[in-house]
Amino acid sequence: MLQPEIILQLVWTGLANASYACLFAVAFALVLRVNKVWNFGQAGQMLIAYSAMFIVLRWWHGSMIVAVSAGLAATVAASLAIEQFGFRVLRRRRASTLSYFILTLVLSQLIVFVGELVFGTEPTTLTDSIVAPAFALGPIIVNVWDCEALAATVALLLLLYLVLMLSPAGQNMTAVADNAALAELYGIDPNRSYRMSMALSAIFITMGMLLLGTKTATVPSTPLQQYLIASVVATILAGVGNVFSAGFAAFALGLLQSFSILIVASRWQPLVVYGVLAITILLFPRGVGGWQFRLPAAGRLAPGSARAETAR
Amino acid sequence: MALLLQGALEFARAAEPCDRPTKFGVADPLTGPNALFGKDQIEAVRWAVEDINAKGGVDGCKLEAVVIDNQARPELGIEAANRFIDVDKAPVFLTAFSSVVRAVAPVANRTKTLMLSIGANSPSIAKLGDYVYTTAPLSDVEMKALGPYIVDKLGKRRAAILYVNNETGIDGSRVLKRAFEQAGGSVVLDESYEPDQTDFTGLILKVRVADPDVIHIHGIVADTTALISQIRQLGIKTQITSYQNAFNQQMVQQLGPAAEGLVVTALAPTAEENPAVASYVARWKRDEGREPNGLPYTQYFYDAPYIVTELFRYVREHKMPETGESMRTALLTIRTFPQPLTNAVTFKDDHTVEKPVYFWQVRDGKFQFLGSTAQH
Repeated sequence: MLQPEIILQLVWTGLANASYACLFAVAFALVLRVNKVWNFGQAGQMLIAYSAMFIVLRWWHGSMIVAVSAGLAATVAASLAIEQFGFRVLRRRRASTLSYFILTLVLSQLIVFVGELVFGTEPTTLTDSIVAPAFALGPIIVNVWDCEALAATVALLLLLYLVLMLSPAGQNMTAVADNAALAELYGIDPNRSYRMSMALSAIFITMGMLLLGTKTATVPSTPLQQYLIASVVATILAGVGNVFSAGFAAFALGLLQSFSILIVASRWQPLVVYGVLAITILLFPRGVGGWQFRLPAAGRLAPGSARAETAR
Repeated sequence: MALLLQGALEFARAAEPCDRPTKFGVADPLTGPNALFGKDQIEAVRWAVEDINAKGGVDGCKLEAVVIDNQARPELGIEAANRFIDVDKAPVFLTAFSSVVRAVAPVANRTKTLMLSIGANSPSIAKLGDYVYTTAPLSDVEMKALGPYIVDKLGKRRAAILYVNNETGIDGSRVLKRAFEQAGGSVVLDESYEPDQTDFTGLILKVRVADPDVIHIHGIVADTTALISQIRQLGIKTQITSYQNAFNQQMVQQLGPAAEGLVVTALAPTAEENPAVASYVARWKRDEGREPNGLPYTQYFYDAPYIVTELFRYVREHKMPETGESMRTALLTIRTFPQPLTNAVTFKDDHTVEKPVYFWQVRDGKFQFLGSTAQH
């Protein structure tokens, strides 16, 4: 099993299969960083994204572009609604972290329940076939889905970085993430940044569900039972506040899962993964060192607002 | 005069309202990951009950199926059984899925209620107690036939066996491994995976290293589809076999060309062997616009109410109390029951049932019949 082609295949497929986990982790970490909320409602947002695309593709036989647009529209709308009518209300009432946790978890479960009523509980996919064309690239087999998934993930991460680095809205988000009260003093509207953060996370969630739904069968409870916890773990491993590091942590977890087959039988893989995670979290409760790929510094704020040095 | 009187009495008896409920329970997944099969199985039961009642029911009494959704989960299976026994007072009930049958068996035995397992195939079902009987052969029948078939007919001698880590997978794969080795083959890889696993890359790479000439998958629904798809996507073109659970046209559609060549077993006769099966399939196409998912399983589910009808008839004819004990006595006395879609079934003392095994292969996107053990 230690032949080079096996190792390379494990690396390639492990990375490709971790692409949607990376997107989910970045979405989760972004909301945690900016809105300061452990958004367990993300599972519900994931289901909304999937359902919208499913309706367009499988019920109405629409095109992929229309489906993705519908998914984006539905998820962004839902995310903004959660921020406006959920988080903002709790924020005003100075609610505890526990209240956010309960609200978001209940919301996810409610959306899952409605999803099961509407769509049933049989495994479904977004496309008729989940078998993508494959070709040999040197010693490894690569399929078209792998390439598309990795390309989309890298593109989205780059786009997010550019938005946060270069756009006024992105820079304002950074300032709010660092210190919302101070940012407000300097004319930045935190609520706008919170909404922006939720909208951006909705984009990542939708694209992640598109990749997931074209790769494997899901049921309405799949996001809540399988993928939300992975996002939380990646966020913790990367250290709270490290958005892009959470994405890399998701890739690392994917590779850990893949490579564990070299040590144990397939049925023991989850045990190895969770065992390693438990030990890592105990040893590095603030995240694993050397992962500090943070949001851009708050130094470059939007024109018209105070300079970062003063803000710091 | 005597004839007139007898006729009058019979007429009077026929005109008497049926004051006895003729209920039996059916617990199957109507929701959850196995609803794909469960819904069609329940539909088959409903059709059978309709057809039986159209012919007079149980000596004039309407047969009634009390249906409960158990999501193929053991804990819900137990709840359903308790409901059948305590609330509906049903002396007999049907259920499926090995893990559910195993969980419910103690309830059936303790309350002396007859439980008929339909399609659950773990060989351990034969040892679950006095009140648990299967109407379909267990996986040892299927797998004992598949092992020699792979060697003799498919000409393969190096097998990789991949199975889901639950009762279905563990028991079925063990029987296949023994049968395959006894037929002269060798098992080069024998590995399980978790039921909710979605990425099988590592496992498939192990298969590649082991270099088998046949891969047998003993899984459930979504995992079998994902595994076959990923095997083909990693460029492995080895012959794949599976069991009756993979006799699933929807899975074949999802897999597309990746399903070509897949060989599966089935335990129900074909339309060629039993013309009633052709009419049954035509009824599905007419009423539902498609063939049923897991056609062989639905055939057994359709036939089960006919067994229940005969049991009630026997018990009433012999003026026995309508209890599970009486039902069991009736079962073991009648022994052989003619079945519309699966031919006759005979219940043996060891709680097993013997039937021919049928082999099918996916060709051009459809299951094509290859042969059966009845032909050998």
